[in-house]
Amino acid sequence: MSEKLYALLLRLYPSHFREEYGREALQLFHDRARDERGFFPRVRLWLDLLFDLTISLPREYLHIPSPRVAASAPQRLNGLPAFYFLQNESPRPSALLLGGIFSLVALTTCWVSLNQVHSAANSGASQFGAARNEHESGRTESAKTTPRAAASSAVPALTQAGAMDPAERKHILAGTIANLKEHYIDRGAAQRMADALAMHEKHGDYNAVTDRAAFAALLTQQMREINPDRHLTLDYFQDPLPSEPVAQTPEVVTQYREAMKRQNCAFEKIELLPRNIGYLKLNSFPDPEVCRVAAMAAMTYVNHADAIIFDLRDNGGGNPEMVQFIGAYLFDHPEYWYNPRENTTEQSWTRSPVPGNNLADKPVFVLTSARTFSGAEQFCYDLKMLKRATIVGETTGGAAHSGVWHRIDDHFGMGIPEAKAINPYSSTDWAEIGVEPDVRVEAANALDLALKLARTKPKEK
Amino acid sequence: MPKRKLDPLPSSAFQILLALVGEDLHGYGIMRQVAEQTDGRMRLGPGTLYSSIRVLLEEGFIEELDSRENDRPGDERRRYYRLTSAGRKLARSEAERLADFLRVARAKKILRGRYV
Repeated sequence: MSEKLYALLLRLYPSHFREEYGREALQLFHDRARDERGFFPRVRLWLDLLFDLTISLPREYLHIPSPRVAASAPQRLNGLPAFYFLQNESPRPSALLLGGIFSLVALTTCWVSLNQVHSAANSGASQFGAARNEHESGRTESAKTTPRAAASSAVPALTQAGAMDPAERKHILAGTIANLKEHYIDRGAAQRMADALAMHEKHGDYNAVTDRAAFAALLTQQMREINPDRHLTLDYFQDPLPSEPVAQTPEVVTQYREAMKRQNCAFEKIELLPRNIGYLKLNSFPDPEVCRVAAMAAMTYVNHADAIIFDLRDNGGGNPEMVQFIGAYLFDHPEYWYNPRENTTEQSWTRSPVPGNNLADKPVFVLTSARTFSGAEQFCYDLKMLKRATIVGETTGGAAHSGVWHRIDDHFGMGIPEAKAINPYSSTDWAEIGVEPDVRVEAANALDLALKLARTKPKEK
Repeated sequence: MPKRKLDPLPSSAFQILLALVGEDLHGYGIMRQVAEQTDGRMRLGPGTLYSSIRVLLEEGFIEELDSRENDRPGDERRRYYRLTSAGRKLARSEAERLADFLRVARAKKILRGRYV
């Protein structure tokens, strides 16, 4: 795709250049695109190309080709039809101007679309806590003010272009330190981290940092060097963050209720598959206030299955209460249900056994993908740690969202853990690393494999 | 003597000449070598790179290798470039010119601390 785009941009060059070096230029782009992966290298690549275009286009049009160049045959670029020029003289200044404007527009479009890709990738990590973490597509009103939605309006991003200046760095640093001291659960660690950041500033370690995302990553890393807590983050968002947290107005609640009704509370499929295997495709963990009955109905429908498959491959998370509510069906006694977002209380045990439930001793399979996020990962993690399910698919997204969100300015915010949940397991939770599947397979093939596994050991556990 | 196109020598052209000292390279190889020798400060885009290469070719400071001379497997389609003796001379004279500037700068003590 990007190669095609660059091939189009190459068409802005005069024919003599394209004929002589079009293929090489495209090859060079191809080589760089291959070697420079990831968001920042890719942005740098496109910025380089923009710069290169503005510098070299006028030069090429002023250049009078030597006969050797003019005589070579036109080449086709990457399957795109080439234009043939009948004359090789320099174009009119107005044509140059038009070409320049066109190239700027085209590159701005690339830049904007690149931003959107990045924002989409970032959006998961941008949502903290259940209140902010409404992935349910029905909650459109609230979605408008989450960072994810803000990120989709990419045009304001351009206003944030340009390097970070010392004043902004100072402001963000001060905001980070203030939030740490005020909110972090361990006051002693907060002070030590704050001191370390202040020391880094004093030593001028930030003077050369002009990239905002890099600055956020650096501060996060430095805080964690003092206090290894993967739930503590400083994040940068290209697009402006909402100024106010989402208000739970009656309209928002009503809309959410309506949307959930339309979507059957995110239960996309509730089926009994051949050989009596229950299959639930659940695309979110909706609010139990709204969807408790639907969830109970779904679990009742598969109550007499010999094995049960939860398909969370498209599940972006949701409400931790619902995660625990569904989890309760899989045990015949209360189990400690780890939730990194909440203090450990008596609510931290599942309400098992669920009256009339037959699923507590049935094999459970959970299908995952890299898009399995947040609350859905909690479901996977807890069942895996409790050795109650076989996770089939891909490593999950790695979003624990256990910090409470604190806004620093329009573009920076922190996730700060304010609760201390007891993790009874020796391994760390899924923050940033995701939940590893027990059986690794491409997400697209996970259901087939889980069905095979379910059929080979239907009565186990 | 007609005015040369490369007078003064643009820094991109100078860096390309330096990149080709001791090694024949293709376009992307030159770009990477230039980035390396300038600590990443100069990343030549395709337009700048190939327009500089063309001028250097036209002026005889570099030459394109015959495809038969390119014996790298899998790389047959790439075009390799080699520094000519005129190119080497030009790079040297440019380096000497810059060294002269450096001497003046030193003499005027605008450089602080240790330097080479």
